[in-house]
Amino acid sequence: MAESRSAPVLEVRDLSVLAATQPILRGINLTVPAGVILALLGPSGAGKSTLLRCLNRLIDLTPGLRVQGEVRFHGQSIFAAGADPDALRARIGILFQQPAVFPASIRQNVLFGVRHAGRVPRGDWPELIERALGEASLWEEVKDRLDAPALRLSVGQQQRLCLARTLAMNPEVLLLDEPTSALDPRSAEAVEHSLLRLKGRRTLVLVTHNLAQARRLADQTACLVVREGAGEIGLPDPDLDRPAPTVGEI
Amino acid sequence: MRKVFDLGFKWVTGLCALLACGVLALMVGAILFRGLPAVSWHFLTEQIRLVGADGGIFYNLVGTLILITTALIVSAPLAVGVALLQGIYLRSAAGRRRLLLLLYLLNGVPSLLFGLFGFIVFVKFLGWGKSWLTGGILLGLMILPTVTVALIERISSLPRRYLEAAAGLGLTTEQVIWSVILPQSVGGLITGALLGLARAAGETAPILFTATIFAGATVPAGIRESPVLSLPYHIFVLAQDSFDPAVGTKVWGTAVVLLGLVGGLSLIALPLRLRIHEEANHG
Amino acid sequence: MFFKPTSQPPDVRRRRLPRVPHTRVFSWLCTFLVGLFLLSLVALFGWQSLPVWRDVGPAYVTGTLWFYRQHTFGTLPMIYGSVVVSVVALVLAVPVGVGAAICTAEILPPRLRLAVKIAVELLAGIPSVVYGLLGILFLRDWVYRLLSPWDPLSGDTLLTAGILVGVMILPTVLTLTDDALRGVPALQRQAARGLGLTCSETVCSVVLPQAWPGIVAAVLLALGRSLGEMIAVFLVVGRQDNQWPAHLLSPQPLMQSGQTLASKLGGSETNIAYGDPLHWAAILGLGLLLLFLVGTITAMSFRFLRQDRHA
Repeated sequence: MAESRSAPVLEVRDLSVLAATQPILRGINLTVPAGVILALLGPSGAGKSTLLRCLNRLIDLTPGLRVQGEVRFHGQSIFAAGADPDALRARIGILFQQPAVFPASIRQNVLFGVRHAGRVPRGDWPELIERALGEASLWEEVKDRLDAPALRLSVGQQQRLCLARTLAMNPEVLLLDEPTSALDPRSAEAVEHSLLRLKGRRTLVLVTHNLAQARRLADQTACLVVREGAGEIGLPDPDLDRPAPTVGEI
Repeated sequence: MRKVFDLGFKWVTGLCALLACGVLALMVGAILFRGLPAVSWHFLTEQIRLVGADGGIFYNLVGTLILITTALIVSAPLAVGVALLQGIYLRSAAGRRRLLLLLYLLNGVPSLLFGLFGFIVFVKFLGWGKSWLTGGILLGLMILPTVTVALIERISSLPRRYLEAAAGLGLTTEQVIWSVILPQSVGGLITGALLGLARAAGETAPILFTATIFAGATVPAGIRESPVLSLPYHIFVLAQDSFDPAVGTKVWGTAVVLLGLVGGLSLIALPLRLRIHEEANHG
Repeated sequence: MFFKPTSQPPDVRRRRLPRVPHTRVFSWLCTFLVGLFLLSLVALFGWQSLPVWRDVGPAYVTGTLWFYRQHTFGTLPMIYGSVVVSVVALVLAVPVGVGAAICTAEILPPRLRLAVKIAVELLAGIPSVVYGLLGILFLRDWVYRLLSPWDPLSGDTLLTAGILVGVMILPTVLTLTDDALRGVPALQRQAARGLGLTCSETVCSVVLPQAWPGIVAAVLLALGRSLGEMIAVFLVVGRQDNQWPAHLLSPQPLMQSGQTLASKLGGSETNIAYGDPLHWAAILGLGLLLLFLVGTITAMSFRFLRQDRHA
């Protein structure tokens, strides 16, 4: 519950998502405390990605879906009338299963969000690029060719570039939608490594169906199960609730 | 600042879309307002009298129907042939690209040049004079890309596994085409043909020198020197002489009938056509 | 089921008997015929217009006077007329068309989007003769009133034709731009929006740069259409020969009657010319010029379009 640790960053209250009248998610309640990695497990089709996309209102972009219930970010309802979804998404970043790099240089990709948000002065950009790429464990591999086309990178490198791009925005929360399932083992390891280093400083919500990955990374887990055609929060696997030793050390 | 720009952007693009729809509404509204009073049962079933100032447009309607039926008969088999080559027989990407370019170029040829081609070849060389058949052939060739591309998009959106399943049963390519591919893609052929015919019905330029006259023709009995009347040419001629109020009403009435024919053909086809198109292009 | 599996093996064998693959032969034959038609179209115009290239030579495309009784054939004013009409049409149709396409592809919900697309396809389906009729009875007068401070001779001007053609090519620009925008993967949009970019920023910095070749293709195709449009232009352009402007870039010609390649070809001179070989060649030379212009533009458009698909 919320009071068990520090104040919750995200609270999901009785959230349902419907396509026409058919529910996809039903009555979801979830609390994400600050600074943890929360793993969201469940079979495919249980609506894990849909739930994740509700947390930064990216769900708005999918036409034909109706969202009921509430998601609170620092106590403020994000679906409320006056809420600004673009500002919200700048604070809650997302990483998809497939890397979505823009057809531009590596440098431009990292700066993509920052340039539009206009929060970082131009003079600080080189530093920002190094920090973001460093946090994403990509700096060493690309520092000599920042102006090369990003599409020439391998898929694993592209995914880390996407991570760097999100981190450059300095988000409080990072939503990760099976970020390593399309990657080769080495890149997957590098991404996991980066995620572990972020722990404590940022809040991470990780959708995965790789149990071992959840065990390696997560402090907390939640399970989505399919009941009567819609996803609901089920009982987490007791084995998974225990943090893995590596996590404890960091 | 960013919010303001975003809002302004949405407003401006929305206004553009509204403007496009508004122009349509304005045009259709103006035509209906001017022309509907002229349309009656007699208007549709009587012949032209007094050089278009009186009477109806029966044989113009008949002529246009003869022209587009001929166009359909010309273009449908050709479209099936070309679409099969593109969708099934041509294996190399370069070959398919070349065939598509051919269709694209054909689609780009100004319709007037079809007319001049027909004038030289059929009217003069073959000595047919003005003939409905020339008009039908030219219109058929003109709408061929529309029909063919619709069929190609439908064929290419068929799941590969139907073909594989059929081939797995030991059917030859020929049998697969006739038993699976063509029955499955007939929707594409029909919608493409309807849109093509809608275009053909309203075209004036290809039939101007080759197939249509203003008055004095009924149902053609042969091929040589057998012109027909037609709706678009009727409008074309009367439009240049529309200061006589009686003629004015008749020309708007003819426009309403032509628009009804074209719009009807398009409206049957469009919803399905747009869906096939979206599926073919955006997965 | 989509096909009936044949039950008896002998049946299958019997059906396999024809050795000649009729369908394949038919398919190639159809395509051959279509290709032959296109080739013979070019060849015919080339061959029939030979006398004018031989007798008049380069003056045919650089001369500014056309008096067929004196056998003076200069097409420059008509080329100029075609270009002016097309430029006016593009200036009007491209901003509106691209803006509206952004609205349908990026902003509108699916139902409304389909409604707008159907409306636009209907707009595209209105026959050009009906556009011409509306041009004669409304647009001509509007333009006349609009230009009245400059005292025009009539409402039949290059501007009138340009506006009319602009409306006619609007659906082409809109539909093809919409296709190009929709061809950009949805994931790219989500990634940009996920970074906190607004809808307009996403369109400007992610979608438009990637849809660029498709939009160029759309504009080129619309240009080809506007160059080749005859009927509607014919009815409102005034069909005044030999209108070669004193100053090429002055707006004066916009307010005067003119002639385009296509409107000249559609006129009664085409019927008169057939008996006189040189005059006939001069007329068909216009067709060849038009074919060459539109063909080049269409081929360029095709290149851009394909590039878009493969990127």
